[in-house]
Amino acid sequence: MNCPRLKNWFSERYNFDEIRDLAKKKFVPNHKYEVWYYTGGITLFLFIIQFITGIVLSFYYIPYFEHAHKSIIEIVTKLNMGWFFRSLHHWGAQIAIVVLFIHVWSTLLLKAYRKPRELIWISGFILLGIAIFFGLSGYLLLWDERAFAAVRVATGGAGNLPVIGEFIKAFLRGGIDVTGDTLTRFYAFHVSVLPLITICLIGLHVLLVQYHGMSVPISVKKEKRTETPFFPNFVYKDLIIWLIVLGIVVTLATLAPPEIGKKADPLAPAPENIKPEWYFLFLFQTLKLFPGEILGMNGETIAILLISAGILFFVLIPFFDRKSQRDERSTLFTWIGIIYFLYFVIMTVIGFIS
Amino acid sequence: MKIDFSLVTRRTFLNTLFGGWLVAFMGGSLYGLLKFAFPTLGKEPDFVILKPEDFLNIPANSVKPFAWGGKLGLFFKHSNGSTTALKGVCTHMECNITYIPNDKKFYCACHKGWFDENGKNIEGPPPKPLEFFDVTIEGDKLIVAKKGIKVELPKA
Repeated sequence: MNCPRLKNWFSERYNFDEIRDLAKKKFVPNHKYEVWYYTGGITLFLFIIQFITGIVLSFYYIPYFEHAHKSIIEIVTKLNMGWFFRSLHHWGAQIAIVVLFIHVWSTLLLKAYRKPRELIWISGFILLGIAIFFGLSGYLLLWDERAFAAVRVATGGAGNLPVIGEFIKAFLRGGIDVTGDTLTRFYAFHVSVLPLITICLIGLHVLLVQYHGMSVPISVKKEKRTETPFFPNFVYKDLIIWLIVLGIVVTLATLAPPEIGKKADPLAPAPENIKPEWYFLFLFQTLKLFPGEILGMNGETIAILLISAGILFFVLIPFFDRKSQRDERSTLFTWIGIIYFLYFVIMTVIGFIS
Repeated sequence: MKIDFSLVTRRTFLNTLFGGWLVAFMGGSLYGLLKFAFPTLGKEPDFVILKPEDFLNIPANSVKPFAWGGKLGLFFKHSNGSTTALKGVCTHMECNITYIPNDKKFYCACHKGWFDENGKNIEGPPPKPLEFFDVTIEGDKLIVAKKGIKVELPKA
């Protein structure tokens, strides 16, 4: 369709050439590691799916502890395609977190965080934290036994942080205990607070990537490289991969809809063989390693402090890794990255099979 | 009195005034918002009143749950027939525990913590023993109270 008058109307008011030039100027470097560039785009695509499916689910979900569990059962049993959209929201979240982890580790191992891209790394890390909090808060909305126990443990774990722990715990729970107030609060986090922060941070993250351009790994930096125009070549490749990802998510959503447990009962014992979501398993397994008391101190507090220190170091890696700041090979930090990765994978697997 | 030289320029004075006003306004608003967002904390009860007929007749070596505020309380009859009550919340990560009559132990499924029938933490991660309550019967009331709390019932 060609509408010259409409085009004229806009071009009399806005300068499109500038935007067109901007798109023409953007190039993506070609090299053997470029496949990892797609993980960021896939995450973005999955977040878009989460936003859309989340919005339609919120049309029907009731964020009140007496009705929440039943309203989800009604969504999946009585509404047109309700089972599909809930399942898609579930699987979209799962795959988004998988891809996010791949994105984080490929950035880490390819040293894409190095100067001048430290802020991209940090904004990305905060987004990972938010994605996990999205998972935890979304998961409580089910209001089943497993979610109830998991949220008690997770918010209680935050309570073990010294000084600010109790404050955070009470703020998250909306009281001293996990109750209906917690559900309403988590709903607010899940549908308003987190999405707004996410949109702002994704905006910043993507803007910074545009500003700095794509990072080229140190090892291939000196080789002769060609470049692909971002538009349309790279965008088309992105779209092809997004279509494949959509296929995977829809297949999983159709063949493996997530179960809904028994309604949460604050007076029922924790169900046998209870396990958190897989992306919490490494923390869960770490907590199990620590005895209740170490040298007269509370074992949990020590465990939580060590975990926090490990995570803090991970965030600050771009500032510690002096060598890659100077574009030199930094084997030490490659190993640190591999150790973090192995710890995560091994603990997750142990948590899964034990 | 007229001063020949001022220590601050008009611009600095105004900037400080407006800047200070902005900081005070933002700070005040933020304080109000946080005050609202932060919950008024409730408190665990000092005691709860139960009906004796619901609890005293449970079989030996078993427990019956009751609500201790928002948490789980367990009324517990030992195998020798003596009764007591305890908070049914694991001291590790606050999961609800369950009683295993065959082993005469309390068990937390979240991180596999075990307590013996006196509430002592014997295996797994729990750092502290379970909290036991005082149980008294006054007329038709079964009173479960925190240790060391003097229960004063309102006169009917």
